[in-house]
Amino acid sequence: MAPMLLQKLFNKKAANTTGGARESAADAENRWASAEFDLAQIRLIVYQDCERRGRQVLFDSKAIRKLEPSELNVDETKTPPTRSGACQIGCKAKPKEAPPTYQYTRPSSDVNMLGEMMFGSVAMSYKGSTLKIHHIRSPPQLMISKVFSARCGSSNTGSTNTLQDSLDSISQTCPSHSSSIAHSNPVDMPGRGHSEDSDSGIARSASLSSLLATPLPSPGSSYSSGCASSYQRRWLRSQATSLQHGLIPRWSTDEMFSLSDESCSSNPGLGRRKKIAISIIISLPEKEEENQSFQEFFFSHFPLFESHMNKLKTAIERAMIVCRRIAEPSQRVQVYLCRVMEALGEFRMTVWNLYMAPRITEPIWLTMVSQSAERTQLCQRFLKEMSVLMEHGAKTQFLSSLVTAVLMYHLAWVPTVMPSNHPPIKAVYHKHLSHTVDLLAKCHPYNPLWAQLGDLYGALGSPVRVCRTVVVGRRRELVQRVLYVLSYFIRCSDLQENSLPHTQVDSPANPCPSQITNPTPCPERTNEKPFICESEAAKFTLNPGRTNKKTLVADADFSDPTSSLEVTSTEADGSESPDSSPFLETANDRLDCAHECAGGAGLECSSANPSPPMHKVRFMIGSPNELENYSQCPYQCGRCLHRKMPSRLSTGSLDSSDEEEQSHGQTCTGNETQQHELPLPSCDMELHLDVNHFGRSLLGGYSPQYMPDFVLHGVTSDQRLKQCLMADLEHTVLHPALDEPVAEAVCIVADTDRLSVQVATTQRRVCEPGQIGRDVMVSNLIHTLLTSVLQLHALNMAADFCVMHLEDRLQEVYFKSCSLAEYLSGQRRVNVKELGLALGIESNDLPLLTAVASTHSPYVAQILL
Amino acid sequence: MNRARDSRPCDRPGSKRFVTVRKTEKMNALVALCHFCELHGPRTLFCTEAVHPPSPSPPQYGSAMMPDREPEGERDGEGLTMKANSSETHRADMCEGCRSLPASHPGFVSVDSETGIRYLSHQHPRQPQLFSVVRQACVRSLSCEVCPGREGPIFFGDEQHGFVFSHTFFIKDSLARGFQRWYSIVIVAMDRIYLINSWPFLLRHLRITIQSLQSTALQVFEREQVVCPQRRMNSTFSPAGFPHQRSGNAARSLTSLTQHADLWASLHTSFSWLLKACGSRLTEKLLEGAPTEDTLVLIERQTEQEEEMNAEGGSVAQDSQPDTTQERDFLFGGDGKDEEPLGPKFKSLRHLRQVLGAAEFRQLAWHVLMGNQVIWRGHDCGFIQSAFEMLKALLPVGCVRVVPYSTQYEEAYRCNFLGLSPDVQIPAHVTSSEFMVLVEVLNVEQGSAYGAYTDDLLSLYQFSISSANTQPTDKGPTLLNKLDLALANENLSVDVVSHCLLCLKEEWMNKVKVLFKFTKVDGRGREDTQKVLALLGATGHGEEDNVRLLKFWMTGLSKTYKSHLMTAVRGGERTLSQ
Repeated sequence: MAPMLLQKLFNKKAANTTGGARESAADAENRWASAEFDLAQIRLIVYQDCERRGRQVLFDSKAIRKLEPSELNVDETKTPPTRSGACQIGCKAKPKEAPPTYQYTRPSSDVNMLGEMMFGSVAMSYKGSTLKIHHIRSPPQLMISKVFSARCGSSNTGSTNTLQDSLDSISQTCPSHSSSIAHSNPVDMPGRGHSEDSDSGIARSASLSSLLATPLPSPGSSYSSGCASSYQRRWLRSQATSLQHGLIPRWSTDEMFSLSDESCSSNPGLGRRKKIAISIIISLPEKEEENQSFQEFFFSHFPLFESHMNKLKTAIERAMIVCRRIAEPSQRVQVYLCRVMEALGEFRMTVWNLYMAPRITEPIWLTMVSQSAERTQLCQRFLKEMSVLMEHGAKTQFLSSLVTAVLMYHLAWVPTVMPSNHPPIKAVYHKHLSHTVDLLAKCHPYNPLWAQLGDLYGALGSPVRVCRTVVVGRRRELVQRVLYVLSYFIRCSDLQENSLPHTQVDSPANPCPSQITNPTPCPERTNEKPFICESEAAKFTLNPGRTNKKTLVADADFSDPTSSLEVTSTEADGSESPDSSPFLETANDRLDCAHECAGGAGLECSSANPSPPMHKVRFMIGSPNELENYSQCPYQCGRCLHRKMPSRLSTGSLDSSDEEEQSHGQTCTGNETQQHELPLPSCDMELHLDVNHFGRSLLGGYSPQYMPDFVLHGVTSDQRLKQCLMADLEHTVLHPALDEPVAEAVCIVADTDRLSVQVATTQRRVCEPGQIGRDVMVSNLIHTLLTSVLQLHALNMAADFCVMHLEDRLQEVYFKSCSLAEYLSGQRRVNVKELGLALGIESNDLPLLTAVASTHSPYVAQILL
Repeated sequence: MNRARDSRPCDRPGSKRFVTVRKTEKMNALVALCHFCELHGPRTLFCTEAVHPPSPSPPQYGSAMMPDREPEGERDGEGLTMKANSSETHRADMCEGCRSLPASHPGFVSVDSETGIRYLSHQHPRQPQLFSVVRQACVRSLSCEVCPGREGPIFFGDEQHGFVFSHTFFIKDSLARGFQRWYSIVIVAMDRIYLINSWPFLLRHLRITIQSLQSTALQVFEREQVVCPQRRMNSTFSPAGFPHQRSGNAARSLTSLTQHADLWASLHTSFSWLLKACGSRLTEKLLEGAPTEDTLVLIERQTEQEEEMNAEGGSVAQDSQPDTTQERDFLFGGDGKDEEPLGPKFKSLRHLRQVLGAAEFRQLAWHVLMGNQVIWRGHDCGFIQSAFEMLKALLPVGCVRVVPYSTQYEEAYRCNFLGLSPDVQIPAHVTSSEFMVLVEVLNVEQGSAYGAYTDDLLSLYQFSISSANTQPTDKGPTLLNKLDLALANENLSVDVVSHCLLCLKEEWMNKVKVLFKFTKVDGRGREDTQKVLALLGATGHGEEDNVRLLKFWMTGLSKTYKSHLMTAVRGGERTLSQ
């Protein structure tokens, strides 16, 4: 494949220019994807399902040929990505050329089946958009479909069909045939308006919906509920996605497919019902390993794929609307095909880039988090590169302004410097359990991948802003050096995957282990050893040893007999990180134990007397003990997390709900009989570090092409960046990959040739022509911080210590933001002079400190904006 | 038990950081086994859901909603199995094939002892609001969605009905039409991204479950075929309409198809494990900021106290008692109001400054910051104590040694805050020392006036401050100059001032750390030290005082920090030079 070859060349070149020296930033990026990927692997089908006319294919990239004057039979998809590393789109790069001509060929034989899969065998009355993913075994493919209700304009009743008429002439109409599957009556899926439909059984309380559903942002407005620190984000997420409140649509997805650009009051429920399906079909690699690796990548990065599908959908809408204005049928089809092909080309390119683009292989922060063995070398290298940059851009304070901007928008560093306060003073255990945050995280699951994506994009503040950083420049080493240094400041959590150990012979997922004498080998299960049956079925459910109890060896100072019981803790292997140091060990073990005592006391009743399984155990839901134990938790969390929350939120959504739970508990105990209690099988897991996570995938390297997904990457020139940036940012606000409403999208553009740093945002459009965004004001705090760290380094202080000092200084910035927040809480008007004199906050520090403060004190933004 | 935070110390960018490993223990999801019954269409057979321990959610949620959400006909108090099936007609419509647990069966439960999460299995979801959700998922997975080959995974869903990962499959049945029955396992969640992210994991493990069921049933099927190969053909079957077909025992239960007596118990275990394992599949490893020096010192002191207590058999040193309270308050930002003693006292640093006068306060604060011994002598020990509470906020915790009220003089190495009763004589070498400041509190004879406030304090007491110090106290240190400005600015609330003070202290503590590393650990010379002082911004105006402050504060560094610098960082350097 062409891209592969070029990719290799690119890497070789990178290695050569730097002589392969380990300490240079230049080789810090590498090819990232383990599998190859070809643009032709992505196919697009647009399907229409109309009550009257049945199903029709409106587009199928497999059935389209590009006719070129010279070469008639060249498939568009064969066009190799240009140059190295990333692939470029033809249409926009060469605007002068005449648009290509396309020919619609015979539709492929599988379209009927695919249509059936997209729409289902039963018509559904649900009006919102639906998402489906199918796995097709042979040939191995993944199909991602979004089905929308079509919104037709009132005036173009006739013209809606013109495209189809045109297409009818070239494609076969596929009649909506009845499914071979026996099925019941059509399923009524009520639209969102009928939320109290008896069928859904859901009576949504307005108060709950409004609390859980973050309001959609409107430009310029700020809101307080979508706020806060990383912890709180995770909590809110868990609540918003909890099943225990029933299903509450989190935010409007009443997205339709517009067949008209008139914003008429459409009523798709009346008249013709028409649905449009947009399907992306990805051919999976033949090799099992590559297949596996691509799928892992696809499913973990799905939000990004989906966001691009939404973009594609918008382009297809536009294409349909535009072509309808053209009278001549063949020309109309040409315009339509050309536009959709262009959008598809862009989609393919984006996906290809997302999968194949070079990455920073050892982003500093994440590498420090995951492996401490090389810490000293990492610190040395980091400081060395930073020193070079500081000197290089000294005149314009390039580094200081860049770091100011990055710290201001990629806010995930803030929780990493917030001091952890859990002193083991026994008397206060029950008063201040700051670690209830974690208990909460545990009991109230959120998606770690989602949390990580939010961290990387800096979506911690209030209002929620998402940010990316692009470093532009022709000098490769320089750009790579900048990227490398920034990979220290752009932070996120590290993710590790727990999976069943390879040595484990039997999976707990197997319900009848004893009965399988001849297990059929499964081709897809490559990572698992075939399970061997256990002699008795009951064994794994009966063996209490399998519940993975590990007794922590009590510390000497914890030999207090009253606490020894509580030191018994169930600990997963995963938590044993290899990089613990002797430092603070004692104190910290004590902390662990301490909070175990505090949080676990009430659970004793369930864990301390493991009842013999299979015996009928009386188990009362909502036993007084349990409730008592947990009743303190909510208050704590509310308190320690939301000290600064506006009162509405803290009393509204965060305070205790004991009443509810108790009353529910009582209802349960009321009519619940004794349940059979069975032991939970162990979750013996092995840790895997090579997870497909955003921290590893979205910190890009030096690429010839601007790419919209990456949290950080470098590009040669800003040409395409200028073309696409605003549209991309606006798309981000409309269809955030973060799966939650976003108020503003921001891109930091650092130009290493001109040594300038600018910020482009959806909220304040650029004033000066030719500029990408606004210049960044250097925060004096950050400038002195960087200066003194580098001076320490220059004085031959140990690199570790310099980095420690850097962290201490960042912590100072956090403390300053707390002062600012406190100042603002009592002030309606900001007196900048007063801030400077009394708090040592200069006006150039204000934007940074406000952003930092908004992560812990959401009201700050409201006062200052 | 609670292993939620797995904080451990480790060498980090900031070197002393806590790592937090967060692992959620289950998914916000439920698992259900569904069946397309030849007689009754799609049916939910068996459902495992996870129920949280009571959670921090607002009270108005549940009290308002939970009862309302129970669909009609579900409060009839019947067995759970039937309960969720909502109507009498449905009940009549059940056959063996549509049933998992008998109506009388109470269901299964497994408790995760760590988190208190309970995994419940019944035929239908226990939580009433989920009944229709599962029903929808079941109908869609078996009647609406199309999967090539009819066996395989599909994801579908929308915000209204939730999101579903479904895997359909056949189970062999010698009595069924086509000798097989159609089933699906669905996993329903609201967080579609999470569900999609989990696809590879869910698929991997559901395949194990499904293949196990299939191969078990296959064996049963083969045995039955041997016994009576023609059975299916003998049974009457009207192809016209399955809903009316009720003859014979055509609808067999999955238990019968697998000949697995404990099938439902095993499925419960498998499904519960799946929910738990899927939730804990990814571990999030976060770094938190290092605790402040003050926190570390408090931890160390607490440890020492405990050790002493253990050694002495539980007797607590008398004078450390009030300190502990104060430290706790300091740490947690509590204001100690609950144990406010009666009588006149200082409320804040600003109050102290107002009462003493700006110049006198400055002088006193200067002595405090320089590490000189501060002695208050007077009748009212509670009042003196309140002065110490205010003054010691100027210092890092590690620099504070208080003897709140004593009947004899205590040496400076024992305490830098000393309260004395009026009759105690201070030794001459102390009174003549420039490293001591004495505040005499004289009662003004006006009777007792409890509840006295700012201005009234002066009507109760007179203060005289004396010291043999000859150094000017109005030049530095920089920290005091800034604090003075904040205290003088009445626009700033007391809380803002204390935040401001915290910032200043942290800022200077960080300088102290650098100086400590530079001079004590690395043993660098005077010239270099001067450079470091300059880059730290400690030189210039008030330099002498700044340096004195830094040197005094160095004594307050935590042992933990010092030993870390001595070992870890040095160790790091050695590895480097090798």
